[in-house]
Amino acid sequence: MLERIGQLADPIGAIIGFVLTVMVLSYIIGDNVLFRLAIPIFIGAASGYAAVLILYNVLWYQVLVPVFQVITTGKMDNMLIYATHVVPAVILGIWMMTKMSPRLARWGTPVLAFLTGVGAATVIAGAVRGTIFPQVGASVNLLNIRTAPSELNELVGWFINGLVVLVGTATTLIYFHFGIKRQEEGVPVTRSVVLGYLSTAGQGFIVVTLGVLFAGVYIAALSALIDRVSFLWDTIIRFF
Amino acid sequence: MTDVICPLCGKPNPPDREECLYCQAPLKASGFVAPSEPGDEENQLLPPSGETGEAEEQTSQPAEASSLEQAIPDWLKATEANFLGQSESEQEKPGTDLVSEQIDSLLNQPSTPDSTNEPAIDDDWLASLLEETGIGESSATTSQEESSEGQEDTFEADKTEPFSEELAQEEPPASADQAEKPEWLTNLEATSPIKLDRVLPASEPDGQSTGVVDTGEETGSGEMEIPEWIAKSGSEVSPPSDKEAESQIAPAELPSWLEALRPDEGVSPTGPLEDLSAADIVTAGPLVGLRGVISAHPSAIRAHKPPTYSIKLRVTEEQRARVEMMEALLADEQKPKPLPAQPVISSRNIFRLVIVVVLILPIAWMIITGSQRTPAPQPGNIPGVVDFTQQVQTLPIGAPVLLAFDYEAGFSGEMNLAISTVINQLIIKNAYMAIVTTTPAGPALAESIMRRADTGLEGKPETYYTDLGYIPGGTIGLLGLANSPKTVLPYSLDGNNVWAVAPLNAISSIKDFSAVIVMTNDPDIARSWIEQVSPQLQVDGTPLLIVTSSQAEPLIRPYYEATPSQVQGLVAGFVGGLAFSRTVGNIQQNGTWDAFSIGITVSVLIILIGSIIAVVLKMLALGKLKEN
Repeated sequence: MLERIGQLADPIGAIIGFVLTVMVLSYIIGDNVLFRLAIPIFIGAASGYAAVLILYNVLWYQVLVPVFQVITTGKMDNMLIYATHVVPAVILGIWMMTKMSPRLARWGTPVLAFLTGVGAATVIAGAVRGTIFPQVGASVNLLNIRTAPSELNELVGWFINGLVVLVGTATTLIYFHFGIKRQEEGVPVTRSVVLGYLSTAGQGFIVVTLGVLFAGVYIAALSALIDRVSFLWDTIIRFF
Repeated sequence: MTDVICPLCGKPNPPDREECLYCQAPLKASGFVAPSEPGDEENQLLPPSGETGEAEEQTSQPAEASSLEQAIPDWLKATEANFLGQSESEQEKPGTDLVSEQIDSLLNQPSTPDSTNEPAIDDDWLASLLEETGIGESSATTSQEESSEGQEDTFEADKTEPFSEELAQEEPPASADQAEKPEWLTNLEATSPIKLDRVLPASEPDGQSTGVVDTGEETGSGEMEIPEWIAKSGSEVSPPSDKEAESQIAPAELPSWLEALRPDEGVSPTGPLEDLSAADIVTAGPLVGLRGVISAHPSAIRAHKPPTYSIKLRVTEEQRARVEMMEALLADEQKPKPLPAQPVISSRNIFRLVIVVVLILPIAWMIITGSQRTPAPQPGNIPGVVDFTQQVQTLPIGAPVLLAFDYEAGFSGEMNLAISTVINQLIIKNAYMAIVTTTPAGPALAESIMRRADTGLEGKPETYYTDLGYIPGGTIGLLGLANSPKTVLPYSLDGNNVWAVAPLNAISSIKDFSAVIVMTNDPDIARSWIEQVSPQLQVDGTPLLIVTSSQAEPLIRPYYEATPSQVQGLVAGFVGGLAFSRTVGNIQQNGTWDAFSIGITVSVLIILIGSIIAVVLKMLALGKLKEN
């Protein structure tokens, strides 16, 4: 029986996928009932799956199962790790639930502050250690002569590439510099002419970057469209 | 219990009191009983006329007169003494006024001492009338005898009890000789102004005048009995006058300017007295019996129920209309307004359908026909693919590899080709894959990919991969995974303790994996993996490989192209996946690459044509504006 159901799962899933795909693609003719019916189905399925996953994978297997194993097997090997990692998380998690009550919400503020502080520290430390320092070092080494290619044609490309990256980085940072020199009272505040030109160049680099990002988004969408059209055709061929 | 109200201070006193407890004013003569009922308040404040007459009769009795004399305050006695003394001193002066003469007539011998038998009637017509009737002598003599007997007591009592003139005129005291007189004569004597002006001052009541009418007996006796206190005060030597005192002091020499400011001595310093004879008498309250004062009537201080004022806002019609308009506006703001229904067939919808048809028809045609005319991309032209392939190919057999399924289902069409190729290569390398995810949909996608990949392979899936599930906590969870993956994910999704068996039993940190492959479409998730995990991987040289989407490639490539690189291999988008699949010998594409190529071409043409049309239309519009 289960084998029979397993064999029917793929065709049923294919049919459901076909119908839902057609319903979403119906938005081509504008907002309609089919599109508005398909969107809640996707949101509900994703939310339900996420809830089950958290209950099953996190609360059950990461919090409760270790306790049951210690109780059933009597092994205290992992008890210290469990007590130092899971118990504080459980206490803070229960403490955090006071935020659900407006009357007790302020009691959950320390937990929220703890999570926010730890999260901010983690992100800042990771950004400094994993992005800022490595990227600054990489930008500095772009025109390092020690890394230059030996052949002339490659050397020209290497130099131009390094120069564009260096100028683009510098001018983009200058674009976000909004400081001005202190002026006397009554004198109109103006930006430096040199900084103005460099800022304009940085603005051009930003425009190109945003264009590339938009192109990447469009390519991703086009790839998804091609995949759906291919799926529809495969489904049609499969059943007809 | 009724209290007697003092006529002077208005305070209640016990009924047995003869004088006020507060001001020592006599209560029996002119006091009144406090009202027992509010309705009879005004009637009881003033004694009735009959009671007034009785009180007047009582004042003529010597016993009660002595008691009243004791009730006179000292200040009033001193005032009477000074007044009488001054009257006697001024009697010697020429030019005394009429009042002084009248007082003298009362205190001294009458002005007609010689004619004792002569009636004290000045009018000739009245004298002749009395002679004709024959009752003039007897009546006048009788009245003089009785009046002379009671004159002293009556005079003192009258000075302490200033009855009102109206009451005295209405209720004259009944005497013995008046009973003998005809009624018309009694009334004539009482109302005659001539007698009153001669006998009594204007301020004394008429009752007294009737008692002091000059008679032949009084004038015949030659001297009237004067009270002892009057005689004493009259015999006292008058104090020196002001002129005598001034003559003893040397006159000062005043400057001229002060003389000019000096007031005229001939002008009286006091103003004229107001005539209060016509003023009303206070009939209620503490000032009862006084004339010419403002009445403190109880009704003036009576507590009334406060009037009720309407709280209705007084606005004009214009203001009311404006308020209604404002309320209507506020009510409309809260109501959602339905969007205007757009027609199904419009230029916008037609233009949209045209673009869809132009874009989808070539794509569908390429997929339907399975076209493979367009040459596939070369791996060497796609940055990162070669390095990615090399990293996968150099993995040791049976090495543990960490796979992170962090992409969303919507990007599976773009990324599935590369991911499927990677999984197949890892299966070929007999690598043990530990699957994790930081997105809730990751386990489902991983299950779908692994089920599709193991089709046709022999052996159980758990022999080459395990799904550790969801990493909670986002960035913090990634940092914990990098430090101790066993602590963060102690069990697999199926509940097995995979960290106790090979090959994961040798894993204590993330750098113990042979490679970490992250599959994500989100540049933020990719950056989190790079920032939190890459520093630990670089310690032992463990490669970090990323399979990503085309939209995240521009943000991830700098990490790959950096020196030293933080990402050792990169496969981005459908193009990267196709190139990577070609490097491992998979050239089957089912027309998708041609569809992708023609789709990009059509899209570029649409954008280019649309831009040209927009520029032309704008130029035409500018030309029309210039012509206008």
